[in-house]
Amino acid sequence: MSMEDYDFLFKIVLIGNAGVGKTCLVRRFTQGLFPPGQGATIGVDFMIKTVEINGEKVKLQIWDTAGQERFRSITQSYYRSANALILTYDITCEESFRCLPEWLREIEQYASNKVITVLVGNKIDLAERREVSQQRAEEFSEAQDMYYLETSAKESDNVEKLFLDLACRLISEARQNTLVNNVSSPLPGEGKSISYLTCCNFN
Amino acid sequence: MAESLPTEFDVVIIGTGLPESILAAACSRTGQRVLHIDSRSYYGGNWASFSFSGLLSWVKEYQQDSDIEEESTVSRQGLIPETEEAIALRKKDETIQHIEVFCYASQDQDTEDNVEEIGALQRNPSSVASTTITELDSACLPEERQSYFTDYEMPANHTQKSDKEISLGITDVEESLEKEKDCGDNTCIHTILGGHKDEDKHTVEDNTGQAKKNRITFSHIVKEGRRFNIDLVSKLLYSQGLLIDLLIKSNVSRYAEFKNVTRILAFREGKVEQVPCSRADVFNSKELTMVEKRMLMKFLTFCLDYEQHPDEYQGFRQCSFSEYLKTKKLTPNLQHFILHSIAMTESSCTIIDGLKATKKFLQCLGRFGNTPFLFPVYGQGEIPQCFCRMCAVFGGIYCLRHKIQCFVVDKESGRCKAIIDHFGQRINAKYFIVEDSYLSEETCSNVHYKQISRAVLITDQSVLKADSDQQISILLVPPAEPGACAVRVTELCSSTMTCMKDTYLVHLTCSSSKTAREDLESVVNKLFTPYAETETNKEEPTKPRLLWALYFNMRDSSGISRSSYNGLPSNVYVCSGPDGGLGNEHAVKQAETLFQEIFPSEEFCPPPPNPEDIIFDGDDKQPEVPGTNNIIMATIDSSEESKNLESPEKHLPH
Repeated sequence: MSMEDYDFLFKIVLIGNAGVGKTCLVRRFTQGLFPPGQGATIGVDFMIKTVEINGEKVKLQIWDTAGQERFRSITQSYYRSANALILTYDITCEESFRCLPEWLREIEQYASNKVITVLVGNKIDLAERREVSQQRAEEFSEAQDMYYLETSAKESDNVEKLFLDLACRLISEARQNTLVNNVSSPLPGEGKSISYLTCCNFN
Repeated sequence: MAESLPTEFDVVIIGTGLPESILAAACSRTGQRVLHIDSRSYYGGNWASFSFSGLLSWVKEYQQDSDIEEESTVSRQGLIPETEEAIALRKKDETIQHIEVFCYASQDQDTEDNVEEIGALQRNPSSVASTTITELDSACLPEERQSYFTDYEMPANHTQKSDKEISLGITDVEESLEKEKDCGDNTCIHTILGGHKDEDKHTVEDNTGQAKKNRITFSHIVKEGRRFNIDLVSKLLYSQGLLIDLLIKSNVSRYAEFKNVTRILAFREGKVEQVPCSRADVFNSKELTMVEKRMLMKFLTFCLDYEQHPDEYQGFRQCSFSEYLKTKKLTPNLQHFILHSIAMTESSCTIIDGLKATKKFLQCLGRFGNTPFLFPVYGQGEIPQCFCRMCAVFGGIYCLRHKIQCFVVDKESGRCKAIIDHFGQRINAKYFIVEDSYLSEETCSNVHYKQISRAVLITDQSVLKADSDQQISILLVPPAEPGACAVRVTELCSSTMTCMKDTYLVHLTCSSSKTAREDLESVVNKLFTPYAETETNKEEPTKPRLLWALYFNMRDSSGISRSSYNGLPSNVYVCSGPDGGLGNEHAVKQAETLFQEIFPSEEFCPPPPNPEDIIFDGDDKQPEVPGTNNIIMATIDSSEESKNLESPEKHLPH
C-alpha cells in the first residue's frame, strides 16, 4: 500500500459549456500543449499530473466531461466523489457565462458539499472579443462563494496557477479534515472500488 | 437546444437502462459512432434512482400522464420518400402502474409554509421554460447558493456518526459529509408539497403535542431530499456475478464504489433473525446449537461441489428442494435458512435449482466480504450511467430529453435506415437498439407482460437492531399461503448514500399477482408499524416505524422473445426493462448476446487503455495544422507501469 509515491491524491472535475476550453486547460496543464482546432476527446477518461507543493507530492486526477455536456447530459456519477470542480466559461461567449447557474444547480444536486468550486473565465488571449467583463464574473463568483480566475490555455496564462492554487487549497482542506475526524482510517465495509486486487477467497 | 444533433451514426441507441448502456459502451469501445438518447430527463429509464423530490416528480409525472395532451409532433411529410415507410414509436411510457403514496411522518410543521410553497410552485414554470434543464433537477435545488449554509437543526443524536462516510477510494482524505447532513434548504420543500395534494389524503394525522425530540417529520425528509437515491428497481450485485465481472473487465468499475451487503436475514415465526452464512458466521452463531452448526457446515460443504456427489441427490430427483432438505436431517431452523435465505428459492423449486442456487451463493461469499452481495454506493441507478460514461469517453454522443417519433424503414430491403426525432430531424444509422418501452402498441400487440410489485419505504429503524446501525440487509419473506410469491426485502442504511441519516430505505419486490399494494402490504405490516400509531403508545416500539411509503407496479419485459414483436426490421434490436430477479445477470447476458449478434467478430467491452499510460501523438512536437484532425489519437505506452488504475484500492483496508 505504500508503493504509491505521493502524499495526496485529488479528483478534480471540469464542467462548463462545450467549447469553452476545458480540455485545452487540462492538456495545457498536464502536457504543456495547446491543441488548436481540437474537437472531441476520445478514449481519455482522466489525466494525471503529479505536482510538488511545499515538498509534498500531490497527484491530481483531472476528469473531463467526455462531451456529455454538449447536450446537457452529464451523468450524476461524474460529480460523485470529486474533491474540486472547475467551472469554466469562455470570456468571449456571453452564453457560456449565462449557463453558469444551470451548472451550479447540477453541482448542488450531485456533488459533495465539501467540494471546492473554482470559476474560470478562459480565453483571455482573445481579449478584443471579450463579452463577459471581469467585474461581472467577480461579482458572480463572490455571490456564489467561489474562487475566480481568468486564464488562457493558449498562452498558458494562469493555467499552472489555477491547478497549483487548487492543490494548495485541497491540501489545507484535507489537513483540516484529518484534524477534525482524527480517526481517518475507513471502517471495514465502507465504500470500495472493486478490482481483482480487492478480492479475497472463500474459506 | 444550442446545437442540433449530428445526423450520421453507426449505432443509435434509444433508452438508457442497463442493457442499452452496456451496449452503448461496448459499441463505442469498438470504434462505432454511437448516438445514445433517452426521451426522459434522467438516465436509466426504469433502472434510475431519484432524490426524494426527484421521486415525487416521477410519481407526479405518471399521475399526470393521462391528461397530457399529445404533443404536436413535427410533420414527417417530406422527410420520408416514397420508397420508405415509418414505424411509429410510443409517445408515453406505460410501464408503471398503480402508484400509491402514503405519508406517515408528521406534516404538521409544514402547514405554515404551505402558502409559500404553492407560490413557489407557480414560480417554477417560467424557470423551467427558460431552460432545457429538467424540472426534475431543478425541483429540489436551492434558489440561492448561500441558503445552503443556513443552519438547520437536526435531531440531537446524529453527531457521533459523522465518521461514517465512505472512503472515496481515490483519496486518503476523508470526505466528511457531516456538514451536508446539517444543511437544509427551504426551497426544496416547495415544489413538492404543492403538487401532492393527492397523497395528502393518505396522511395519518399526527398529534402536535408530541415531544419533538428525535422525530423525523415529512419536512425533514423533504429538506434532506438530496440525501436520498431511491432506486426504481431493487437489485444487488452477486460478487461472482456477470455484472461484477463485466465492471472489472471493462474498467467501468472505476466510476463506481460499492459496499458489501452486511447481513442475510430470515423471517420466521414472526421474527427477524440473522442467517449465519460464512464459515465464521456459522461457528460464531449464538442461535445455532453445536449439532446444528455441524449439520449446516456439512450440508454447505456438500453444496459447493454437489456435482461430484450425484449419489447424494440422485434418488430425490422427483422431490422439490424443500422436501429434499427435510431428508437431510436438518432442523426446521436450518431448512428455513437454506431454502429462503441462502438458496432464496421458492419452496417448490427443484432440487437441482436449489443446489445450484446454494452453490452460487456460497461461491460468491467472501470475494469482497462476508455476504455474497455488493450494493453500489448512491444506488443501483449509478451503474447504467457508469457504462454511459465509458461510451462517452470513447466518443459516444449523449442526449437526454430527446424524443423519437419513428423508425424509417426502406420498403425494398426491409431494413431500418434512420430515426426521426421530435424536431423532425432525420438521423441515419446502420443499427438501432431500442428499449422495449419505446415500442408502439401496434408493435407490441402480441406481447404479454409479467409485472413486478414494488414498494419503497422510508423507516426510522432497522428491522433487526445490531451494534452498528449501518447495516445493509437482505431478507426473503416466504409467502404466507402456498402459491403466493415470496417477497424480497432490501434494507439500506444511510452510509450507502441512498437515504438521510437516521432513516433506512427499504425496498420490497415480488412478482405481481395483484397491485403492488395488495401484494406487499401484508409483509409491510408484518415488519413495520405506521409512524403515528406508536407515538401514542408509551412502550418502546419493537417494530421499525414507517415514515413514508410508495407502491407501484413495474412491467417486466425480460422474458419476451424478439419474435413476439410485429414488423420490426432485422437491424432493430430490442432491450428489455428490468427483470424481477435479484441479480443483474439478465441485463448483462442480453447486452452481450445482442452485441455479438451485431458485431460477431468484436470483443465485448475490453479494458480501455490505462489513462496513465496514454501518451499523445505529437507530445513532443508542435501540434498539427488546425483542422487536420479533430480527434486526439491515443496510444498506449506499454513500458509504463500498468498497475496505477488499481491505486484507488491501495487506500482500502483489507
